[in-house]
Amino acid sequence: MLKPVETNINMSFKRIIWIIGVLLIGTKLPAQDEMKLIPAGSYKPFIKGATEKLVVEAFMLDKYAVTNADFLEFVKANPAWAPDKVKALFADPGYLSHWPEDYLGDKSLEANKAPVVNVSWFAANAYCKWKNKRLPTMHEWEYAALALPKGETDSASLTRINTDWYSRKTPQHAEVGSSYENQYGIWDMYGLIWEWVYDFNSVVSNDASRSSEEVVAGLFCGSASLNASDASDYASFIRFSYRGSLKGKYTTRNMGFRCAKSIN
Amino acid sequence: MKIAVVFSFAVLLSFSALAQSGPAKSCCSSLAASPTTKQQDLLETSIYQLDHQWKDQYNQPFQLVELKGKPVVMTMIFTHCEYACPMMVNDLKNIEVQLTKKHKDVEFVLISFDHLRDTPERLLEYAKAQGLGENWILLHGDAEQVKEISLVLDISYEQMENGAFAHANKKLVLDKEGTIVFELEGLQTKPKAILDALNKVL
Repeated sequence: MLKPVETNINMSFKRIIWIIGVLLIGTKLPAQDEMKLIPAGSYKPFIKGATEKLVVEAFMLDKYAVTNADFLEFVKANPAWAPDKVKALFADPGYLSHWPEDYLGDKSLEANKAPVVNVSWFAANAYCKWKNKRLPTMHEWEYAALALPKGETDSASLTRINTDWYSRKTPQHAEVGSSYENQYGIWDMYGLIWEWVYDFNSVVSNDASRSSEEVVAGLFCGSASLNASDASDYASFIRFSYRGSLKGKYTTRNMGFRCAKSIN
Repeated sequence: MKIAVVFSFAVLLSFSALAQSGPAKSCCSSLAASPTTKQQDLLETSIYQLDHQWKDQYNQPFQLVELKGKPVVMTMIFTHCEYACPMMVNDLKNIEVQLTKKHKDVEFVLISFDHLRDTPERLLEYAKAQGLGENWILLHGDAEQVKEISLVLDISYEQMENGAFAHANKKLVLDKEGTIVFELEGLQTKPKAILDALNKVL
């Protein structure tokens, strides 16, 4: 990490060192690592009911989902996360099952810009930590995903992308950066994969204050309030239900992730 | 009708998610290098592979692997909890009073959701107030540890704006290797199911 050394070096020299350092770091970062600022704001979470607005602090979010090529680098640097080494506690048997048997020497995987899927929460979390980042929280993800496609002002445009995608079969994932870019400069929040969030298990369905029936009823109240012009709620409903069905070690063919970072 | 359609879609989706996870590529390979020697011979299913440093109620460092060799009843609570957690602890006490000599190694482990307020000191006060004996271990860890253990135990939780936690109420029985062998959802549960599970792992 770059830290200014506390000596008697004069300010301008310090500044030059800083600039050189920043340039060095800048050139070392591959494009896939690029992050975008998500400005602070508030939004109405689908699950909370109509009245509550939730404040989201500004944070950084990966421009693209993590690709197979990115994840291969991670596995090479962290052999404990190799498909044949990973522990059953942290990933189910589907983990990276779409990778070839000899993935280490696989040139096409090294260049594969499709989002990595078949990864568990634990693997995704470990990857982000390795990058000195973290998984976005559910609220951060949902908030960032609300941004309309770049240049669009019609909120129906996002809903269209979303529902078109949900109703399409996607056996092969296209490369990152191929669906749409939103107003923060983030690509593919919808259209390619589902994404892990840090606290996906935070929708409590069996606590004392809210029985599981009530939570399910809450979800269905959301769904029951749908009408033809509000299909975005329908998509949210699907996402929240899906998250509720996951466990930390699950891997599926449509679930990948991207990382986030707090701003100090 | 609309509800039914949405519901069937959700069900379909969760099924397809399950069905889509591919075939096992490899299984049961030797364990990757672990940070401590104690952890090297753990089973792949052992939750003691989580090598976090916790603090117990005596402010001593604690790793889950220290439970190896003992039957364990585990749950997650927070001490400012007014309703569910006292009932949960009460359920566990009702199990404890039914233990006999053959159960002497059984440990009760309470892991706190509340990494800010449930300091070791606070946990000790709570243990005293609840009359919890030497075979009870109350653990404090940071937010990341709490998240990871909650995922391994499959206990959902959410911090509310008032600082309290909404959470699933689940008791788990771990065998001597740290593998989850039984879990029970709910409050005011009868001791029998947990006792039966414990008797199988003594």
